[in-house]
Amino acid sequence: MTPGQVLLFTVGGLSNAAYLFIVAAGLSLVFGALRVINMAHGSLYMIAAFVTVVIANQLGAGLGFWGGLLVAVAVAGAIGGVVEVLVLRRVYGREHLVQLLGTYAVSLVVAGGVRIVFGPNYRTVASPIPGHLDLAGYSYASYSLFMIAGAIGIGAGVWTMLYRTNLGRNIRAAVSDPDLLNATGVNVTRLYTTVFVIGAGLAGLGGSIVAPSQAVGSSIDTDVLVLAFAISVIGGLGSIVGSAVGALIVGMVISFGLVIPQTNPFALAFVFIIMTAVLIVRPRGLFGRPES
Amino acid sequence: MFLENPALEVDVAPPLGLTCPAAARGRPLPTLQTPAACNCDRLVGVTCDCIWGGMNVKRIVRPLSWLALATAATILIAACGGSSGGGNQPVTFKGTKKVGYSAPLTGQSALYGHAVSQSLKLAADDINAKGGVNGYKIEMDIQDDGTQVAQAVTNTKAMILQDNVVALMGSVTSAQCLAESPIAKQNKIITIDATCNSWQLTTQPDIVNPYWVSIVPNTYMEGTAAGRLAAKLGVSKIFIVSPKYLFGISETNAFLAALKKANSSVQIVNSQSTWYVPFPTNPRWDSTINQIQALKPDLVYSNIFAADQINFIKQALAVDPRFFTKYPMTTLVSVDELTTLGSQYPEGMHAYMRAPFFALQNNNARLTDFINRYRARYNGEYPSDWAVMDYDALTIWAQAANAAKSFDADQVVKQISGHSFDSLRGYKITIRSDELQANVGETTGTTTTSSSYPFPILKDITNLKGDDLMMPLQMVNEIKGNQCDAKAGDPTTANFALCPSWTAAS
Repeated sequence: MTPGQVLLFTVGGLSNAAYLFIVAAGLSLVFGALRVINMAHGSLYMIAAFVTVVIANQLGAGLGFWGGLLVAVAVAGAIGGVVEVLVLRRVYGREHLVQLLGTYAVSLVVAGGVRIVFGPNYRTVASPIPGHLDLAGYSYASYSLFMIAGAIGIGAGVWTMLYRTNLGRNIRAAVSDPDLLNATGVNVTRLYTTVFVIGAGLAGLGGSIVAPSQAVGSSIDTDVLVLAFAISVIGGLGSIVGSAVGALIVGMVISFGLVIPQTNPFALAFVFIIMTAVLIVRPRGLFGRPES
Repeated sequence: MFLENPALEVDVAPPLGLTCPAAARGRPLPTLQTPAACNCDRLVGVTCDCIWGGMNVKRIVRPLSWLALATAATILIAACGGSSGGGNQPVTFKGTKKVGYSAPLTGQSALYGHAVSQSLKLAADDINAKGGVNGYKIEMDIQDDGTQVAQAVTNTKAMILQDNVVALMGSVTSAQCLAESPIAKQNKIITIDATCNSWQLTTQPDIVNPYWVSIVPNTYMEGTAAGRLAAKLGVSKIFIVSPKYLFGISETNAFLAALKKANSSVQIVNSQSTWYVPFPTNPRWDSTINQIQALKPDLVYSNIFAADQINFIKQALAVDPRFFTKYPMTTLVSVDELTTLGSQYPEGMHAYMRAPFFALQNNNARLTDFINRYRARYNGEYPSDWAVMDYDALTIWAQAANAAKSFDADQVVKQISGHSFDSLRGYKITIRSDELQANVGETTGTTTTSSSYPFPILKDITNLKGDDLMMPLQMVNEIKGNQCDAKAGDPTTANFALCPSWTAAS
């Protein structure tokens, strides 16, 4: 493999990791703060992708996409808020199985609704950043480079929110002791809603960003959810840094695994082998904290 | 008397003496004033479904009062009874029989399941308008399998054991069909297969089901067509990408066999272990696209389809808008991929297609009528290859069952095996008795923009004849006689390229 090819496959792995990170970060944030495994996370991703495609196709791939992205994130966040109020508040503190079933039910309702509203056909939208970059004899999609930059920016933004703002301080305090935080006058119920809305917004952001690079259909929710969970388990549910590392591992394993003949047949299996190994050796994930 | 709200739904035939004004096409029709004035087709639920001048328009009606609702329903039910029929000539049925179809309405192949389902409903209505089958009205029993094998199995069992279907339509992927076939065989339910197409389904001894009829070009036929197409291009370095399951492996083998036969010096540039991608796949195709860039083939051979093909093309074009000019591609295509990507679908793709309506429409009034009615009924959608083939599938079964005067699978197969049938494709298709495979053709050509359609079509079209593509009979018999097994006595290792007749000819 030449250095140019190593760069080619590395960038491929990074762009894979980028969209997975954005989705996994929201999943991880919600689990970290609320201790809820949100099976409907992929549904919010899917809704946002559809909203983006519809708006971008109406208004044009350029401005329409960016407008669509904003609306899609807002829609995903709003639906997340409704789900939190109507469903999650009733299952906080209950065993994970109940939470899983509750959010899974939401995902089924959303999947049915999406098929009714948007129909069964796949939809596509042109890239808002159509150019490409030629380097060392190979081409790189500008949009893939944008996704990588976007993921880094979003990761930095979430980290800053968590560790450099009052909201982040309250979220971290709620993770440690919600009752004590409540006693200090912070409305923890509202805080939980806010966190879930942010998590839903991140799912929406992932769906919106990925929309120009793939067909948007009513099954993209499950496609992304499986890998997002694998990333979260590897990196540690609740850890944003863990999500980033997990996404990098998964992205690179898939990218290089598929191009190396000896590993190709097992490339996707490796992701889950790594996940299983992490669960055995370090059940809380590489950067996760043990559940108290 | 009727306001807009779901409460009562009836199917009605065209209002007497009225035709659909051209200006109204594609637009909502005026609310029906008196549904009872229409000839009633059937009471189906709660929407008034009016076929008017070739259009099918849902009318949702609500009576002002429950009394009006009850009165209207009573009148309509009394008028309809158990009868149905086309136009103004009601036909009396003995009852209803269901035909099952496990459809990928969601998941990787949702594109195809959607088209097939619509077409089967249209075919069932056409059959019923002509009196149904053996005096029974035909109703489609369509259940979503999410493009998942396990769900397809569950659906098949439910349709056979609970819904008592009298026939099945083959699912979309060979993986599903492979799992469904033994269940259908065990329960002696005939399956007409128009989409999944691995030749093993009708030929490999351990898989063969005597009630499984294939009216789709199988992987041997399709791979042969693709191999000949690639050989004509005169390329020397080929990159292969294919889904990793029975269909992909079966078709790729046939492609390679045909290609090597025509040009033995051709080189496959990627290692065999990288030919196949997991199915259903990760929606990101960066690895495959990057491998192609690294290996710089003269031609990419692909049989990836539906969402996978759309994602691959979109992501490749993002890497380089001239990607498919630099690396031309020979690929399986259907109208569904063309309509989904529209103008984004690249020009110059060397396509092989199963039944593209635009290539089969010349002097084909039956197909033109089907296209018009399909589009009128389904919001202007163009019928895909799958829609064309599955319409044929149901109508062939109906003709055979009527000829057999029975729903018994043995009797119906007797009326199919060796018989010829009209098809939407514009020619008669004959089902070869030896393996119940139809001599259906394949269309090849190069994608180009169209002034007539909002999606690319093909230029330099060749409609290959099925008879020229079918597996030689001698080879069929050798496979059935376990003479082509990689491991002697193990039919799961059967490979036509190991057959004595193939090796002798190579």
